[in-house]
Amino acid sequence: MKARLKTRSIVAAVSAASVALIGFVAVPAQAAARSTVVVIESNTFTSINNLTPDTNIVINGDVAYLTGMGLFHYDDKLNIVNNPTLGSYRVSKNKTGDFEVTYTIAPGRVWSDGAPITAADLLLFHVLSSAAYNKAAGLGDPNSDTPVFNSGLYGAVYDQHVVGTPTLSADNMSITVKYDAAIPDYALNGLGLTVPVHALEELAAGKKSLGTAAENSAATAKFISDVNSKNTAALKLMGPVFTTGYNATTIDSSTNPLLLVNNGAYMIKSVDSNAITMVASPTYNSGPALSGINTVVIKQGIADGSPSAQAIANGDADVYQGQPTADAVAQLKAIKTATVTTTSSLAFEHIELRVASSGTDTYSGPFAMSGGQKAADLRKAFLLAYPRQDIVDKLLKPVNPGTVVLGSVINLPGNPQYEHTAALNGMAVFNAGTQSSRTAAALKLVQKWYPSAGKTTPVAINLLWGSPGNTRRTSEAALIIAAEAAVGFKVTAPATKGWGGKLTNTGYDAHFFIFDQTANPQDAQACGIFQSTGGSNYTGINDPAIDKACVALQSKTLPSSTVTRLRVQIEQAAAKDAFFLGIFQNPEVTAFNSQLANVVAAPLSPSLFWNFWTWHF
Amino acid sequence: MTMFSRRSKLSEEVSGSDIFNKETEGLSQGQIVLKRFFRHRGAMVSLIVLFSLVTFVFSTLGFKILGIGYGGWWKYKITDLPALRTAGCSIELPGCPSLSLIPGKGFGLGDHPFGQDDLGRDYFSLVMRGAERSIEVMVVIGLVAAAVGITIGALAGFYRGLIDAILMRINDFIITIPIIVLGGVVSFHFGNKGILFLAFFLGVLSWGGLSRLVRGEFLTLREREFVDAARVAGASNRRIIFKHILPNAIGVIIVSVTLIMSGAILLESALSYLGLGVVAPDVSLGLLISQYQDSFTTRPWLFWYPGLLIIIIALSVNFIGDGLRDAFDPRQRRRISRKDRSAERAIATKK
Amino acid sequence: MLAYIGRRISALLVILLGSTFLVYVAQGYSGDPSEALRGSTDPHVKAQLASLIRNLNLNVPPPARYFLWLKGVLGVFVGHFNLGLTRDRNPVSTYILAAVPVTIRLILLSTLLAILIGIGFGIISALRQYSRFDYALTFFAFLMYSLPIFWVAVLLKAYLAISFNNFLLNGSIAPAWIIFASFFSGVFWAAVISGTRQKVIAVFGIAAASTAVFLTLLSVTKWFTHPGLGPIMMLALGIGFAFAVTFVSTGLSNKAALRSSLTVVGIGFLLYFPVEYLLKKYANLLTLFIMAIVTITIAIATSYFFAKVDRRAVARTSLITSVIAGLLFIIDKLMKTWVPYINTDAIHQRPIPTIGQINDLLPAGNFWFSFLDSVLHLVLPTIALILISMAGYIRYSRGTMLEVLNQDYIRTARAKGLSERTVIMRHAFRNTLIPITTIVVVDIAGIIGGAIITERVFGWRGMGTLFITAIDTSDLNLLMGVSLIVSTLAVLANLVADLLYSALDPRIRVVGKK
Repeated sequence: MKARLKTRSIVAAVSAASVALIGFVAVPAQAAARSTVVVIESNTFTSINNLTPDTNIVINGDVAYLTGMGLFHYDDKLNIVNNPTLGSYRVSKNKTGDFEVTYTIAPGRVWSDGAPITAADLLLFHVLSSAAYNKAAGLGDPNSDTPVFNSGLYGAVYDQHVVGTPTLSADNMSITVKYDAAIPDYALNGLGLTVPVHALEELAAGKKSLGTAAENSAATAKFISDVNSKNTAALKLMGPVFTTGYNATTIDSSTNPLLLVNNGAYMIKSVDSNAITMVASPTYNSGPALSGINTVVIKQGIADGSPSAQAIANGDADVYQGQPTADAVAQLKAIKTATVTTTSSLAFEHIELRVASSGTDTYSGPFAMSGGQKAADLRKAFLLAYPRQDIVDKLLKPVNPGTVVLGSVINLPGNPQYEHTAALNGMAVFNAGTQSSRTAAALKLVQKWYPSAGKTTPVAINLLWGSPGNTRRTSEAALIIAAEAAVGFKVTAPATKGWGGKLTNTGYDAHFFIFDQTANPQDAQACGIFQSTGGSNYTGINDPAIDKACVALQSKTLPSSTVTRLRVQIEQAAAKDAFFLGIFQNPEVTAFNSQLANVVAAPLSPSLFWNFWTWHF
Repeated sequence: MTMFSRRSKLSEEVSGSDIFNKETEGLSQGQIVLKRFFRHRGAMVSLIVLFSLVTFVFSTLGFKILGIGYGGWWKYKITDLPALRTAGCSIELPGCPSLSLIPGKGFGLGDHPFGQDDLGRDYFSLVMRGAERSIEVMVVIGLVAAAVGITIGALAGFYRGLIDAILMRINDFIITIPIIVLGGVVSFHFGNKGILFLAFFLGVLSWGGLSRLVRGEFLTLREREFVDAARVAGASNRRIIFKHILPNAIGVIIVSVTLIMSGAILLESALSYLGLGVVAPDVSLGLLISQYQDSFTTRPWLFWYPGLLIIIIALSVNFIGDGLRDAFDPRQRRRISRKDRSAERAIATKK
Repeated sequence: MLAYIGRRISALLVILLGSTFLVYVAQGYSGDPSEALRGSTDPHVKAQLASLIRNLNLNVPPPARYFLWLKGVLGVFVGHFNLGLTRDRNPVSTYILAAVPVTIRLILLSTLLAILIGIGFGIISALRQYSRFDYALTFFAFLMYSLPIFWVAVLLKAYLAISFNNFLLNGSIAPAWIIFASFFSGVFWAAVISGTRQKVIAVFGIAAASTAVFLTLLSVTKWFTHPGLGPIMMLALGIGFAFAVTFVSTGLSNKAALRSSLTVVGIGFLLYFPVEYLLKKYANLLTLFIMAIVTITIAIATSYFFAKVDRRAVARTSLITSVIAGLLFIIDKLMKTWVPYINTDAIHQRPIPTIGQINDLLPAGNFWFSFLDSVLHLVLPTIALILISMAGYIRYSRGTMLEVLNQDYIRTARAKGLSERTVIMRHAFRNTLIPITTIVVVDIAGIIGGAIITERVFGWRGMGTLFITAIDTSDLNLLMGVSLIVSTLAVLANLVADLLYSALDPRIRVVGKK
C-alpha cells in the first residue's frame, strides 16, 4: 500500500513537472516589443514617385507618405494638420488681384543623404503644375502635348491663378507664390515637397551614387538657376527622370541610391514582387519622431476577403484595410487577436440619371431633359422608388452598422454641416415617409403618363453599374430591378466589364457607382460632378445655377457660411431636376493586431497611415 | 510490400478459353459495351444520380422549350424577395436553411431549404437556377468541343498529308488563344447575351486535346486490316470513316468528352470567380460559390449547397466517363481477379 | 526530320502572328483602360485621362495599334526585343522576368509531385482494378478534381496554417487526433496492400499501432517544437529507403544493388558530421551543388564496385538511394534551423504562412533561414495544386496501365514465369510512361502560364497574377507580353510532344506519308 502510494506520488510529481515544463516550453520567451509591422495591400507598387498620372495609385501614395514628410496632412476628422517641424506657410499679402503665400522651411531639416532641405525643393512643384511656365520654358503645353514633366497636376487651381515664377528668399529657405486671386484652399492647392531637386539634377546628369555635400549644394544651385533662367535643355533632361525614372518594381542594393533620397521617417530598403520593406531613416528630422516601429513591410497583391482575413488570423500580417464582404468582416471579427473597426470613407455610392441638358450630350432616352415634364416625372419616380434604405439595411449595415442613407453628398455625414445641408438641399423628398409611401408616390407619377404602370412595366431603363466581380453591386442591382418594377420601370442591369468606358454611351439611362473623393477642398470636389464642364459629369447636366455656384466656390476663399450656402444651392439644383442621389458612404474595414496601438482609419488617403509615427506595439 | 507478389496458387480447374469467351459470347459490340457498362457500379450509381439530379433541377423552376412549358413546382422564383426568415435561426444569422433531414425532428424542406441570401432571395431557387445554367454550360461546351474536335481530328487522321498539316495548325492556333481573354471579351461585348453564348465560344476553344486524340486514333486505325478490307470491298471514304473507324474510336472520344464536360463546369466556376463568367442577374453554381466564398465560416450554407452540386455533377460525369472507358476498351475484361491471373498463367504454362 | 521541325516552327510564327493580332484586337476593343479614373472626383482627372490616352495610344484604333506593338516584338530579330511599357510605365519585360521564376517555383514542384504521386497511385489503382481501394482512390481523385481551388485554399489555410501554428505553440497532439490518424493510416495501408481477410486485419493493426506509437512519441517528446533527425534516425531511415528503393527498382534478389545502396547509406552515415559542418560553415547553393555532384559520384562509384553484371540497374538503384539520402541531410539541416527560425521576430512562432512567396522581414544573409522560409511558403499552395491536379494523372496512368496490362506481350512475359514485379516495373510500367510523357510535356509548358486562381488566393505574384491584372486593368502590352510567351510555349510543347511520341513509340510516324 505504502509502496503504491509512493509510486503514485512519484508519478504525480513527474507529471506535474512535465506539465510545468510544457507550460514553460509552450509560452514563447517574451521578447522585447516587436518593432516590425506588416501591412497588406491588394494592389502593387509601381513607382517611388506617385505624382505622375500613371503612378497615382493608392499603394504608391502610401509608400510616398511613409517615406516623405510634407508641410501638412489630413487627420481622421478631415482637419488639415500642419507640420511646423518641417516648415510653415502663411498668406503674406492679400489684396484684390494680388494674393501671396510664403513658405518657409525650418532650418536644419535634411534629406536622407544629409543634404539640407531648402525652399528650392518647393520650387519644383511650380514646374510640375504651371502650364504657363512649361510653355515659357520651351517644354510645350502640358495640357495638349505629352508633358516633359508628366505630373498630372496641370490645369488645376494653382495653374489657373499663379502669377510668374515663385521667388526664393536670399537664403533659399523661403519661397513666395503670387496668385491673381485669393484662391480657395491655398494649402491644398499650393506648393509641396516632391522629390529632392539636388537628386533630380544629379540623376539627370547620370550620376549613380550619392553626391558629396558640395556636389549636392551645387546641384541645388544649378536647379534654381535652371528653373529661373528657363534652361530648356537642362529641364528636358530632368523631365524624363521625374516622369519614368522613379518607376521601379524591384528595388535592392543595386538600385541607384539617388532615387531613394527622401525626408520621411522611413526609407525604402527593398521592393520585390512580394513586398515593400521600409526601415527607419537615421537622418529623419522633418516631422514627429517614430514611437517604436522601425520596419514597415507592405505585402502587396493580397486579395481582399478570405485571403486577407486568414492572413491576419495567422499573424502573417498585422494591419489590413479594405472593403470586404459582410462575411469576411464576420470572419475578421472572429479573430481573437485582432481589432476590427468599420468607418466610412469619403467615397460614396450614388445613382445618376442621364439628363443630357448640355448641347454635346446626344442622349435622348426617357430621362432626357428634352422629354420635358414627362421625363421629369419619370426621373423623380425612379429616384423615389429607388430602394436606398433596403440597400443600406441589407447590404451595408452588416459591414458597417453605422451606415446611413445619404441626405447629401456634398457634405457627407460626419461633416458638421451635414444635418443642415440635408435639411435644406431638397433631397429630403427622396427620404420622406416610408419606402412604400415613396413607391406609391412614384407609381402615381408614372401612371400620369402610363396608366397601366404597376401592373406592367412600360418604361424600359438600361442601368449601368459595374463589373461582374462586384458582389455588392450585383445585389444592389437585384434590389433595384425588383423595386423599380413595382412602379412600372423595366430595368435591365447586366454586369458589364469595362463599364467605365460606357459611362458616356447613350444606350444607358442611368448609372450607379462610387465617386471617390481625393481631398476636401472648398467645392468638396462636387463641381467635377455637377458643373457642365466637370471632369466627372456623366449625367450631361448643364445647369447655369450650378455652374455659377461652382465658379464662386473655385475662385477664392469664402467664409464658411457662404460655402455652405453655395454647396446647398448645388444640391438643390440636383434635387429639383431629380437626376442625382447619394446612396451610402463606402464602408472601410480596418483590422489590426490588437497589440498594435494607435491604428486609426481616416476617411481620406493615406487612410490608416495618416498617423503612422504614433504606432507601436 | 506485397504489392507485386501475386504468385499465388494455381487453379488448374479453370480453362482459359472459358474466361475469355464466356462473357462476350454471341453478343454484338453494342451489347457487350452496355453489359460491361451496367456492371460498372460507380458508373451506374452516377448515371442514376445524375439523371435524377437533372430531372429534379430542371423541374424545380420550370422550363420552356419551343412553347411547351412547365411552370415548376417550387414556390419561389429567383427574382422574388421574401423577408429574411428569423424563426429558427440565430439572431446574427437570419435566413438560415430550413431543410431538415433529422429523422426524429421531422423531415421536410421547410420554407427555404437552402436558406436565403443577403437580399432574402430563396437560395434553393438560386441554386437550382445555377445548376440549370451550369449543366447547360457543361453540355454546350461538351457538344461543341466534341463536334469540332471529332470532325477535325477524324479528317486530319484519315486524310493525313496536307489536310492534316493544315488542321493541326488550326489546332495550334486555338491553343494559343487564352480562354480567360475570351471570357473578358465576351463579357464586355455580349454580357447580356447570356451564358450559353459564352459557353459556345468556350466549346470552340476546348477541342484541342480531343482532336489530337481522335487524330491519333484514326492514324492507327486506318492502317488496320479491317479498313483495308473495307476499302477493297469498295467502301467510300465516308463509309469507312463513319462505319468502320469511328465506332472503334468511340471509346476514346466519349471518355475525352466526359472529361471536357466535367472540366467545363470547373472552368465556368473559375471564370465566374474572376468575374468573367456568368453575368448577374443570371446565376450559375460557379458564380454562387465565388460570390459567397467568404461565407465559409459564417454562413456556410451559401457556400456548401452550390459547392455540393458542383461536386456531385462533376463526380458523376467523371464516373460515367470512367465506366464508359472501361466498357469500350475491347480488350478489357470485367475484372482481372487473382483467379483469372493465375488461370492465365496456368494456361500459359500448360502450353 | 529537321525539315519537319523547320516547317513546324515557321508555321508557329504564322500562327503566333495571327493569334496575337486576334487577341490584341479583341482585347483592345473590350474593356476600358480608364475605368479606375472614372470614379474619381479629383479635379486633375481630365488631365490624367488625357495623359492615359497619349501614353497608351488609345486614339489609334486597336488593329493599327497592334502594329506598333508588333514593331517592338519584331525587334527581336535586330536585337532590340521590346514588349513595350505597362500602364504604369514600367517595361513589360521586367514584370515578366520577375514573374517567371516565381511561377516556376510555385508550380514546378507541385507538378512534379502531382505527376509522381498521380502515376504511382494510378498504377496501384490499375493493379487493383475495381477493388475498394480503386473505387476509393477514384472517388477521392475526382472529388479533389471537382473542388474549386479557392475552396481548397480556405480549408488548407484554416487547418494547415492557422490551426497547425497554434498547435506548434504547444506541440502535443490531442489523443483524438492520434486515434484518428492511426485509424486512417491503418485503413490506407490495408487498402493498398490488401489480400486475405486475416492479412488485411493484420496490416490494419500493424499500421494503426505503429502510427499511434510514432505519433505519441512525437507528441510526448515535443518533437514538433524541436524537430530533428539526428545521425541514428537518419541511418535507420536510410537503410529503410535503401531496401525500399532496391525492392522497387531491381528487386531484393539483386544482391549487388542492395549492397551497393546500403553502402551508399553507410558512407552517408560516416560523413554525417563532416557534412553537417560543411553545411553550416559554407551555407550556399554552391555547396549544395558540389555535394550533389559528390553524392552522385559516390553512388556511381559504389555501384561500379559492387556490380559485375547489369551495372545500369545497380547504378540506378544506388543513385536513387543516394539522392534520397542527400535529401535527408537537407531535411535534417532544415529541422535544425527550425527552432532559431521560428523564434525570429519575423516569424514570431508562426512558421506556416498563408500568403506570399517569402518573408521580407527575415534577417538577410542566412542561407538556411531563407531556404526554410521558401519551403514553408510553398507548403500550402503546393498541397493545394497537388490535390487538384493529381486526379488527371491518376486517371490517365490507370487507364494506360490497364490497356498495357491487357497486351499480349505482358501475357507473354508472365508466361515466361517472370516475377510480377519484373512484369510490372519492367514491361508494363515503361510502356505506360510513353503516352504519359507527352501529356507531361504539354503540362510542363502550361506551368509558365501560372495558376491564376492559386496565385491570387495565396498572394503569389507570378505569371497568372500578371495575366489577370492585365485583363482587369486593360493593360494591353502586359497582356500581350504574357500571352505571347504562354502561347509560344504551348505550341512548342505540342511539337516536342509529337516528336517525343514518335521517338518513344516507333509505331507512330511524325510525318504522315502516303
